[in-house]
Amino acid sequence: MDVAVTVNGTLYERDVEPRKLLIHFLRDDLDLTGSHIGCDTGNCGACSVIFDGKLVKSCMLLAVQANGSSVETVEGLSDGDEMTALQQSFSDHHALQCGYCTPGMLMSATALLRAKPSPTDDEIRKALQGNICRCTGYWNIFEAVKAAGR
Amino acid sequence: MLLREVEYAKPSSVAEALGLLAADDGARALAGGQTLVNVMKARAASPDMLVDLNGLEELRGIELAGDGTLSIGPMTTYTELMESVEARARPILGEVCAQIADVQVRNRGTIGGNLCSNDPTNHLPPLMAAIGARMTIRGGDGERTMGTDEFFLGVYMTAVGPGELLTRITIPAGKHDGFAAVTLGVDGTCIVNAAASANGSLRVALGCVDAVPVVVEAESPDGVRAAVRAAGIDPPSDVHASSAYRAHLAEVLAERAARQAVEKR
Amino acid sequence: MTTIAPEKVIAPQKQWQGQSVPRKEDKRLTQGQGVFVDDIKRHGMGYLHFVRSPYAHAHITSIDVSKAEEIKGVYGTLTGEEVAALTDPFFQIASEPGGQIKDFALAVGKVRYVGEPVVAVVADTRELARDASELVEVEYEPLSALVDAREALKSDAPLLHDDAGGNLMWQGTYEWGDLDAAFAEADRVVKIEELHFHRFNSTPLECDGALVEFNRGTAQWTIHTNNQFPGFAAIMMGPAMRCGLDKLRFVTQDIGGGFGNKITSHPQLVVCCLLARKLNRPVQWTEWRTDFHMSMSHGNERWFQDTEVAVKADGTLLGFRTKALDDAGAWLRYEPLGGVIWAQVTPGMYRWRHIRVDFTQVATNKAPVSPNRGYSRMQHLWFTERVIDIVARELGLDPVDVRKRNYVRAEDMPYETPNGCIYDSGDYAQMLDIALELIGPVEERRADAKARGKLLGVGIGSTLDSGTNNFGQSRLINPELQFSGNNEVATVKLDIFGEIVVTLGTTPQGQGHETTAAQVVADILGCSMDDVHVRAGHDSYWNSHAGFSGTYASQFAVTGLSAVKGATEMLAVEIKKLASVIFGGVPAEALELAEGGVRIKDNPEAFLPFMACGAIINANNAGLPEDLDVTLNCRYVYRPPFEVPDIERKFGNLTLTYAAQIHVAVIEIDPETGYYDIVDYAAVDDCGKRINPQIVEGQVMGATAQAIGAAMHETYEYDEDGNLLTPNFYDYHVPHALDMPPLRTGFIESPSPFTPLGTKGMGEGGGAGIHAVCAAVQDATGKIVTDSHNPYQRVWELLQ
Repeated sequence: MDVAVTVNGTLYERDVEPRKLLIHFLRDDLDLTGSHIGCDTGNCGACSVIFDGKLVKSCMLLAVQANGSSVETVEGLSDGDEMTALQQSFSDHHALQCGYCTPGMLMSATALLRAKPSPTDDEIRKALQGNICRCTGYWNIFEAVKAAGR
Repeated sequence: MLLREVEYAKPSSVAEALGLLAADDGARALAGGQTLVNVMKARAASPDMLVDLNGLEELRGIELAGDGTLSIGPMTTYTELMESVEARARPILGEVCAQIADVQVRNRGTIGGNLCSNDPTNHLPPLMAAIGARMTIRGGDGERTMGTDEFFLGVYMTAVGPGELLTRITIPAGKHDGFAAVTLGVDGTCIVNAAASANGSLRVALGCVDAVPVVVEAESPDGVRAAVRAAGIDPPSDVHASSAYRAHLAEVLAERAARQAVEKR
Repeated sequence: MTTIAPEKVIAPQKQWQGQSVPRKEDKRLTQGQGVFVDDIKRHGMGYLHFVRSPYAHAHITSIDVSKAEEIKGVYGTLTGEEVAALTDPFFQIASEPGGQIKDFALAVGKVRYVGEPVVAVVADTRELARDASELVEVEYEPLSALVDAREALKSDAPLLHDDAGGNLMWQGTYEWGDLDAAFAEADRVVKIEELHFHRFNSTPLECDGALVEFNRGTAQWTIHTNNQFPGFAAIMMGPAMRCGLDKLRFVTQDIGGGFGNKITSHPQLVVCCLLARKLNRPVQWTEWRTDFHMSMSHGNERWFQDTEVAVKADGTLLGFRTKALDDAGAWLRYEPLGGVIWAQVTPGMYRWRHIRVDFTQVATNKAPVSPNRGYSRMQHLWFTERVIDIVARELGLDPVDVRKRNYVRAEDMPYETPNGCIYDSGDYAQMLDIALELIGPVEERRADAKARGKLLGVGIGSTLDSGTNNFGQSRLINPELQFSGNNEVATVKLDIFGEIVVTLGTTPQGQGHETTAAQVVADILGCSMDDVHVRAGHDSYWNSHAGFSGTYASQFAVTGLSAVKGATEMLAVEIKKLASVIFGGVPAEALELAEGGVRIKDNPEAFLPFMACGAIINANNAGLPEDLDVTLNCRYVYRPPFEVPDIERKFGNLTLTYAAQIHVAVIEIDPETGYYDIVDYAAVDDCGKRINPQIVEGQVMGATAQAIGAAMHETYEYDEDGNLLTPNFYDYHVPHALDMPPLRTGFIESPSPFTPLGTKGMGEGGGAGIHAVCAAVQDATGKIVTDSHNPYQRVWELLQ
């Protein structure tokens, strides 16, 4: 089935099986391996992307559902080689260790900061609830997002 | 994690959707996908065709009538319900939706999907039962509207049959509602939940204790526990809770939901 | 929590060690440019899917792969029968009887746990491999399942391994001191019938995986994987596959969490290797979350039965005896080392001298156990902490007082434990004071909670993180084994254009090795961290590894960084030797390394930049003295000072360093439901010299979060047929952002006298959070807590 989807500003046209999940399409067909897979029940959020302006888990969307839509992944956050202020804040606050949950966290934080440029602590926690991390315990991630928000 | 082969269609009208669903026994409606896609990943169910409802504007939208009645399209997402100005007419709706899963799930998951999947641990079936929601189903034979007692039939089973779609949820006016749950982690899957409504008589609906919401009535919150005991529930045991613990939680949460509802008077 | 303020520039010439410098890893990881094993692609690769057993215990009566193999796009399959023909059983650490079991990479003849791999199918797409696996026909003859370790040694228990003649895998008795005298001297003997440490693990977000290529011409496998202990994997795989270890090239880059759970993937790696060779194409394997939960690395489940504690009336602990029953699951993949590893912390943090542990390990029809963060020490430390709190309760004493009365004291350090381990340094009483001060007064909070209808509880969890193993302890399990000591390797070179390149033997999964190694190097060479390039990950071909290389068991800050220090110091000596010649015979003592080069101390203008040194040795070396022994490519093997333990007495130093953590948890229970919240939490750590404080704190926080998850929600629970009831993240709840309590942290630094940098290994945390939550539940409910796992229902039941 034909699908035409804009990812990080670039239009991709491919032929995919309807059963292919959007996360596999991004990773395997488009070689955008920044978004990750950490579970098989839609719980972990490592696959989070921004889909038509809304934060979603790309493991629960079919690639064909993205036809005509726009998707933003972690690869699209920085323009060129430099880290963005949010990415720098993650580094400054040691909000990542192994880095596997990080792309998903960044997308969730990006979605939050767009809607709420100066989020409260509660708003930050609620916004990141759908992103599991096993390394950091989340506390540094809260600080990183708070600092990026000022 | 990998789905079986499936066909996919994205109809542009409800009539077209109904046609596709009626034509193939193995066709399933795809709403938010936050449950169905996971079921398909586990290969616990593998429809032949997915009929994507996400293009159907007719199934969206929230209208508030002059008498306070809300008419909600089933493809309304939890986020949309939470952000809707109209839905504030029945505040419990947004309050409960805010407890469901997480941001990502709420941006795609729909109220219709929640009701039609009728997982016993879902939040919305008991809530609808407590507040007296009515569901409209459209099929080849036309439309019919019913209360929750006729809508919820069994685990994962509702009155929406093959070739049919839930097209509208109608919610009467009211503000005196409550909801209480014990969940697996904060805002996690419900172990037991209870919804209450004190608009007129006091109704409490229990979730997670039976195949469908169990509704009890009482004069006041003080009588709720007795009403729950009288209902004779025999909840399932699983890794999260024994039957006895669930039965106990049901009493406690039913009373708490009832008090919340009454305190809002 | 330390946060580095972006405005503060880390001064280049100040010491790098001890500063929370930004991590080198962060740029690629935040930009989604990390390379995790599933990110790697090879042309023509086949995707592997495992057909797994649906039964906990069954004979395999037939396997038919023909229908699967007929499908276009399916490249081939592998069965247990083929594996048994092509490989030898994996080496067993155990002696008898466990050592008799025959462990192959796929089930042979029988399946012994739900999820056990039976057949592998390889196809041209992931989906097709999955589909084709449904066409593989396996016939089983189900047998009864053994799910409770306490039943394993009964005469009618289902027998897992005929070769072992029973379900006993290993048994050992440990006894030190004089128990009879201790119990005679005791004023009270506190008896605890049964304590249970539950089964869970750290569920790293990235599951196991590999992409294996086989070079037919050289019979060489290249194994791209996220296995965190390639040294161990090689030792297990080589003999099984009947090939030399150099034929197994392990390559890792970024690993999405390990926590010990990525040590025993060698069976699956063998399957990938055999298929890569059989099918003549690269083979890619991704483990899905459910596969991981069902089959990988469960942490040790351990019962402590018939415990007796000898105490004085004032709370002085004299000794204890207990029977430890350990549930190894269906296979011994790293076990029965768990049967001795706990002995690194035999007395916990306490000064009792008379101890007996009868340790029994049995097999059951559950997933194989292997190291999980805190491996085997956590279980034992939880036990000692439970004993403290239960004794305190029985005697009507304050748990704080009992701890302080019995803690090993700062003035006792280095402290030799009853079994000859040496606690290097530490001040537990001070740490406890800091933790309690962070929490503040509790009684008013208790009254306030009561007024709101809640039960408040405060609990202490004190724990040790023993690091840098002496592998000689394996001989206490099996005297025939030829392992002892430990090692790690680093290579530091000065390249032709003056680049400083560091190669490690480790396989980091988020611990920041590239950064901390660069800090150590920069300090020794007097240069900027930005000029130190540390290669990411691990590659056998770099030849910068040894038998024990990997990242596990809380040791990098000791073994890895000591290797880095050693290699860098070698390089520094060589640089000075070269400079000495270039400067016309100036003695090495008159030279110093600074500002990216080497100069004469008294005449700093005589300066040779590193680039010049590198260029001379690599490309411009005519005229140098014949005896100038300088390569500027220095490989160093760090070897911690260990002896082989005394096998008879089970006595000797088993670990080099002892980091410590003391946590305090404050909970509020809703007595009507048993639901509880952690409303306040303090964690104080001591890991000796901190190379990068922020990284250390990150590890403490992560361990805390995992411990809270295990204490409250996480459990691998089985039904009576051996089905895992928590096989995915839907049912196995790991904490998320809303579940985290407020956190206060503190630290002290007690440098280790035994390590080159004064560092101690850390990162495992020892389950302090579990101990603290159990203690808090006991305090709040007034009931004795006997299980490490306390979900709401259990708390409610305690209150009834």
